[in-house]
Amino acid sequence: MDTIVNDFTLNIATANGTGSQSANLILMQTIADMGVNVSGKNLFPSNISGLPTWYIIRASDAGYQAPGNRTHIQVLMNKATWEADIEACEPGTVIIYNTDVKLPVVRDDCLVLAVPMTKMARSIHPKLARMIANIIYVGVLAHLLNLDDDAILSALNKQFKGKQKAIELNSTALALGRDFAAENFGEERGPYRVEARDVDDDYFMIEGNEAIALGAIYGGITTLAWYPITPSSSVAEGIINWLPKLRHDEDGKTTCAVIQAEDELAAVGMIIGTGFAGGRGMTATSGPGISLMSEFIGLAYFAEIPCVIWDVNRTGPSTGLPTRTQQGDLSMLYEASHGDTQFPVLIPGNMEECFEFSWRAFDIAERLQTLVFGFSDLDLGMNKWKCSGFTYPDTPMDRGKVLHTQKEIDAIENYGRYRDVDGDGICYRTLPGSGIDPILYRGTGKDEDGTYSEKPEVYHANMERLKRKIDNSRTWLPQPILREEVELEIGIIYYGSMENMIQEIDDILESTGMKVSQCRIRSLPLSPIAEKFVRDHETTIILEVNRDGQMYGILRKELPIELVPRVHSCAFSDGMPPRAIVYAKKIMDVLRKVGATTEVLS
Amino acid sequence: MTIKLNVINLPKDDYKGGPSSLCPGCGHDQVSNVIVTSAWENGLDPKKIVKMSGIGCSSKTPAYFLSQSHGFNTVHGRMPSVTTGAAMNNKEMTFLAVSGDGDSASIGIGQLIHAIRRNLNMVYILENNGVYGLTKGQYSATADVGSKKKKGVTNETQPIDLCALAVNLGCTFVARSFSGAKKQLTSLMKAAMSHKGFSLIDIISPCVTFNNNDESMRSYGYVKEHDVELHAVDYIPSFSPMEEVEIPAGAYRDIELHDGSVVRLQTISEEHDPFNAVAALAAMHNAEKEKKHVTGLLYFDPTKPSADEDQNLVDTPLSQLSDEQMRPSKESLDEILAGFRGQ
Ligand SMILES: Cc1ncc(C[n+]2csc(CCOP(=O)(O)OP(=O)(O)O)c2C)c(N)n1
Ligand code: SF4
Ligand SMILES: [Mg+2]
Repeated sequence: MDTIVNDFTLNIATANGTGSQSANLILMQTIADMGVNVSGKNLFPSNISGLPTWYIIRASDAGYQAPGNRTHIQVLMNKATWEADIEACEPGTVIIYNTDVKLPVVRDDCLVLAVPMTKMARSIHPKLARMIANIIYVGVLAHLLNLDDDAILSALNKQFKGKQKAIELNSTALALGRDFAAENFGEERGPYRVEARDVDDDYFMIEGNEAIALGAIYGGITTLAWYPITPSSSVAEGIINWLPKLRHDEDGKTTCAVIQAEDELAAVGMIIGTGFAGGRGMTATSGPGISLMSEFIGLAYFAEIPCVIWDVNRTGPSTGLPTRTQQGDLSMLYEASHGDTQFPVLIPGNMEECFEFSWRAFDIAERLQTLVFGFSDLDLGMNKWKCSGFTYPDTPMDRGKVLHTQKEIDAIENYGRYRDVDGDGICYRTLPGSGIDPILYRGTGKDEDGTYSEKPEVYHANMERLKRKIDNSRTWLPQPILREEVELEIGIIYYGSMENMIQEIDDILESTGMKVSQCRIRSLPLSPIAEKFVRDHETTIILEVNRDGQMYGILRKELPIELVPRVHSCAFSDGMPPRAIVYAKKIMDVLRKVGATTEVLS
Repeated sequence: MTIKLNVINLPKDDYKGGPSSLCPGCGHDQVSNVIVTSAWENGLDPKKIVKMSGIGCSSKTPAYFLSQSHGFNTVHGRMPSVTTGAAMNNKEMTFLAVSGDGDSASIGIGQLIHAIRRNLNMVYILENNGVYGLTKGQYSATADVGSKKKKGVTNETQPIDLCALAVNLGCTFVARSFSGAKKQLTSLMKAAMSHKGFSLIDIISPCVTFNNNDESMRSYGYVKEHDVELHAVDYIPSFSPMEEVEIPAGAYRDIELHDGSVVRLQTISEEHDPFNAVAALAAMHNAEKEKKHVTGLLYFDPTKPSADEDQNLVDTPLSQLSDEQMRPSKESLDEILAGFRGQ
């Protein structure tokens, strides 16, 4: 039988709380350490123990990161989803199952491999059998896939952080599984193999949330205020973890306050207080938290207080699918709160950008004196991704227009807290404690000197200035990244975590003969480069993971009217990490509908 | 004419604010005057004061005092969180915060509770009139049962006593007073300004427009008749020798505050010990039974660390850190990356 090398998707069906996560991470890390492109997705339920969990690992020499369009190897550990998991297997799938679950697997069209995982695990350590059974399937897969022994050992070491006992126990289990497979599945081991590639020592695997956490620390965060919510909690926990090493002095005193707030209403209030006092405040949350924060977000806009909120997007309310991914908060962020507001939104698409945008967010917030959103999602934030490293901030901190002395104020002709003396919409501010220009901050009801006013012309002029201030950032916020074809026929605009799927979508589309350019938007408000991209292409698809086409809506509003007929929405969300084939098919549907192609994907 | 200066050589005018736009006679204006006097007499530097407030007639008052201090008129009920962030980033400031009973006992009760829980270093001035003044006279959650506004029905829902709540939460300074009791309120205010930790002063501050008919239990007439003074409090700033204050010997009790100053309590109910939470609750309970307001320093605990002390912050206020203190070195990042790469 021909072998299939470095091109398969492996699905492991378990229940959460059984310790399968370490086994899965070891498996993925091993493949990564062999120099092979690999990605992992944890599909987990909203509880702590006992509900079905799937872990999807994809190896791909083509560099694809999304889960593939089918499963090639299925591991069955979970009684609860047993039948459905078997039914979902396409013919030819390699099925490895735990015989100790004592349920049948009848699939004549698949290669079915029976392994007494729990029994073998019990022989090593009766009490920990349930956990160790997971390592048995890693051993079985090590044989089937031809995994490298040294790579496995190093992955084990990484996972158990050098804890000798755990490493020994798990190596024994691994060897047991491997030997069992070698003995019983000598001939019949399926076609899938992992073959070592050149290892790029620069690469490592990391979660987006951890990258954001580190970015915030290098961005000079002085106050973290947060309220736990999946999938954002590990941003805050990451910061808390790294602070002692990076931001404590010799006496253990810290340069960053950490407050677990009573709710999101308070968390955002705390970072606004931080910005008002002259510090760098940040919180991390998800959609439900953003909706609670809404009024304060408006206050930060009108009072012009710098602070940073990271939204790690998930689906729906608490009783929605809180552990599933989506890009459904975008339009809420962009115009959050009570009318006539607009916020810079930074949208990283990979680990390097999660770090960079996280430190930059503080500079942008202080420069623009406004609240800045970072926009990530569960897929980017809680799954491990390949990362080439983080670039140390290459610019000094931008603390914005802050005046510290009376002399500085006197040097400005006609100074006023809200007077645009430079013509860029950004005014100068002073800090509490400085004793200069002591004003009482409030929302919109104030004039250019910050004095209470309800005059209509004063209100209107202030609102126009605020608009100008944010508009001016269109050219210097993180700009779109373009990959353009000479044909300039079809363009795709996309953003955020979709970056991990776009190459595969592009390959699928181009297999039909069409040429597709891409434009990845990395911030809002929209850059003129995005507008030019639309102008340059005959047809542009806006691709996103939500129901209503939120970026599409923003483009329709901000593009010149004559370009609006050229943009078309392709939005889809089912909570799952996006699969390329699903979106490629939907793009083709749209293109056919608007007459841009007659092709059909097989 | 010579101008009287305080201990840091500032005239009282330096502590005043803009003209008030509240209804003439509003209790809140009296409180503003007390704030001006107390800050001046305490010799606080206006530059080192931050005024905070939520939303309501009461929360408008920071415009009417201390115009040389920065301030923030935030959102309804959520001033404590903004104060928390600001206090973390500049622990050298004195935070004087004004709130109303709607602001504190309803929409903002959660934030009030948690600021108390953290022992945030601030003076929380609660101007309590039993109604929502700014939205034109709805009952608040502190309105007493049987109370009757000028218009509308009698209140039948039991009130929340924020002082009792605060004592139960372990608030480190709990006092009650009356906006018309200038002398007592000034003493309490000055003591609160010196306390390191959370000071709650619940001030009965009548709304002359919506809640000052005689059936209201927070009208001038009612309170003047029914107010039981628990203590006459006299405050002695640390820069003033104690001897200068004339109080008959034997009729007072001294409590030392964080800045070394001493609050002197003249005990009317001889048995009340402000370190005793149960006694404080009993005093409030008994007064409530007799439909009276008990005033004075109800509870005091100088032993708990404040929120900023709990954080173990560096000495420099976080808002004044250098870039080097805020951004770790390139070497540290290289080291982390090497670790990630398994090197
Ligand atoms: C979120 C929100 N809800 C409602 C209001 C309307 N509002 C303004 S002031 C106020 C009540 C203020 O009452 P209180 O705190 O007792 O202050 P007072 O005016 O009595 O001094 C309300 C409900 C608001 N500003 N914000
Ligand atoms: S309405 Fe009541 S609380 Fe408001 S200013 Fe007038 S008297 Fe004061
Ligand atoms: Mg009120």
